[in-house]
Amino acid sequence: MTKTLQADLLLLVRDPIDHAVLIEHVRAAEDGAVVTFDGCVRNHSHGRRTLYLDYEAYETMALGQIREIVTQIHEKYPIHLVAIAHRLGRLEIGETSVFIAVSSPHRPAAFEACQFAIDTLKRTVPIWKKEYFEDGAVWADGELPPAPAETRAAKPAS
Amino acid sequence: MRVKVLFFGRLKDIVGQAEDSVELPDGSPIEALFVQYGTSHPELARFRASLVASRNQVFAAWTTPLHNGDEVAFLPPVSGG
Repeated sequence: MTKTLQADLLLLVRDPIDHAVLIEHVRAAEDGAVVTFDGCVRNHSHGRRTLYLDYEAYETMALGQIREIVTQIHEKYPIHLVAIAHRLGRLEIGETSVFIAVSSPHRPAAFEACQFAIDTLKRTVPIWKKEYFEDGAVWADGELPPAPAETRAAKPAS
Repeated sequence: MRVKVLFFGRLKDIVGQAEDSVELPDGSPIEALFVQYGTSHPELARFRASLVASRNQVFAAWTTPLHNGDEVAFLPPVSGG
């Protein structure tokens, strides 16, 4: 039970993501499951052959949003530890852009939390990818994060 | 008051810079700041409906008033993962 107090791990990195390090980070004696998601660079997009991708982030806010996701999945699911790493910069075909590992005593919670984490990350974390093709480059179509309601406007600065 | 402004993704390409610093009347809403950039970069204004804004690294409504030292970012649809 020595790993129980270990913290979650949230990273934005420029070097290749080491899956084993993240998996080992969340693995503990009291857990019966580690579920992982490996998001990798696909060689095609909208019928065109992709050469490589370039990711950029609003890094301080992205880490804050990832932390928010981790807080949410701890509230929603009986999981143990979470490790999330997103890579930035130029990524080649087949490389891992995002890796998520979730441990839990029983597998359903880890499966659900892992899916919730990647789905939410793709909607709310300020990271953008530019897709490079043989005949040019485009910013990928993304998802618009939910904006706060306009009615809270008059709130004073905090 | 002076605020820091950040542009990401295609917005950075349009404005031609990632970061700016602007003088505005204290309490100006984020919308007013965006309108100012939209005037100097008409192409930017076209993206208004598909953007969200943040103030000090938190998503913020366009009506949010700004204060000295705030960091504002205009964020196109995100495409991480």
